Amino acid sequence: MEEKYIDDAFLARWVAGELTPEELDAFQNSKDYLEFKRINDGAQILEAPKFDQQASFIRLQDELSGETQDAKIVKIIPRWIYSVAATVVVAAGIFFFLNNSSSSFETGFGEQKTVTLPDNSKVYLNAKSTLAFNKRDWESNRILKFSGEAFFDVEKGTSFKVVTNQGVIEVLGTEFNVITGEKFFEVRCHEGKVRVSNNSDENLATLTQGKAVRMHDNKEENWNFNQEKPTWIKGESSFTKTPLKQVIKTLEGRYDVVFDTKTIDLNRRFTGSFTHKDFNLALKTVFTPLNISYSKKGKMIYLKGKN
Amino acid sequence: MPLDTKSVCDKKVFESIYNDHSKTLRNFIYYKCGDVQQAEDVVQEAFIKLWKNCAKVFVEKAKSFLYTVANNTFLNEVAHKKVVLQHQKSIKNNSTSETPEFILEEKEFMMKLKNAIADLPEKQREVFLLSRIDNKKYSEIAEITGITIKAVEKRMSQALIVLRKKIGKI
Repeated sequence: MEEKYIDDAFLARWVAGELTPEELDAFQNSKDYLEFKRINDGAQILEAPKFDQQASFIRLQDELSGETQDAKIVKIIPRWIYSVAATVVVAAGIFFFLNNSSSSFETGFGEQKTVTLPDNSKVYLNAKSTLAFNKRDWESNRILKFSGEAFFDVEKGTSFKVVTNQGVIEVLGTEFNVITGEKFFEVRCHEGKVRVSNNSDENLATLTQGKAVRMHDNKEENWNFNQEKPTWIKGESSFTKTPLKQVIKTLEGRYDVVFDTKTIDLNRRFTGSFTHKDFNLALKTVFTPLNISYSKKGKMIYLKGKN
Repeated sequence: MPLDTKSVCDKKVFESIYNDHSKTLRNFIYYKCGDVQQAEDVVQEAFIKLWKNCAKVFVEKAKSFLYTVANNTFLNEVAHKKVVLQHQKSIKNNSTSETPEFILEEKEFMMKLKNAIADLPEKQREVFLLSRIDNKKYSEIAEITGITIKAVEKRMSQALIVLRKKIGKI
């Protein structure tokens, strides 16, 4: 049958729509035509795997920042501008510092911190979290701004409020653990009673000891647990049917790595725990049961579903 | 000689070169090796080399510089493994009201087609996919792969003939 296409480029010209009307007519009447057409049509609905151009450009820029060019780069902005800008920033900083009695705390990758509030309440901050409050009128106004994960041990007193991007927790004196993330908000009550509401002030739940609530993608989940203190304070993060996305975020905050999750389903749930002491062991305990393989390259961890 | 004021060392120019060529370059290497990660690494490396040599490469030569560097990197570093092409799962739905049998049969056909494409010789595969997935003209494919248009057309035709033989009667 190939002999019919004496011209090496016949099929290529057909694909490109370059056949003469006579050639096309004859070809369409041949018995092979339909088979070729189906292959060509089928091939055109295939797509190459997604290429995230922006993300990879950012990655490229990262790598380039360490490279030197052969050419000399002429600065368009004169140097003195930078000194002026720096002065302005410092001046503004001092101004705000003097004017504001708010205190803020932040933890970096893998860091944990204990913050004692003016009334002796304690906040245990887990990695990659921030906490801010106003010192001056603390006694009358116990309000904290918070993101990340923390365990709160609150002294009895006036109302104590934790405000996060995802919702508000209000208590009178109790112990509870909060995690915030992107479209993720979890509160576990370890002692006493807490009231959880979302940002539009709708009441989500009133939790008593051993009860937990979670908002994930605007869906509410409730469950019970049995721990005196969150396990992460003792060097282990544990999860109960937690979306994989949040588990990975916790791993990233703990070990200062970045996961490539392009090929896996982040909505899968994970129940279990990982240690804070051994990264390899942590990777193994999280991903092996989920049947996900991983490979390391510098700070990047590439995840791949096994089927 | 006209004085070209554009320079690859200019960040804006470099970025626009990146936006114009990175995707096809990634696909081109991907069609050769079937490994997204490796393909993206090769692309990164090619752009890093371009940046380092930006004073020596004219803007209009940047494209061929990239393809040459990427191709060399690929030949030097990438072990030739069996190619497993992962096409995105979301195949565009271009017909409606199909019977289940039709859908099943169509799925089977697409599976066969994918396997047959993965089995093509590398040279035919890259031409075929650059044309069919990236919608590149033969002249452009010739530029990318560094062969003549005639040779591109020949490889394209051969690819179709091989695919038809492999897939057989429908």
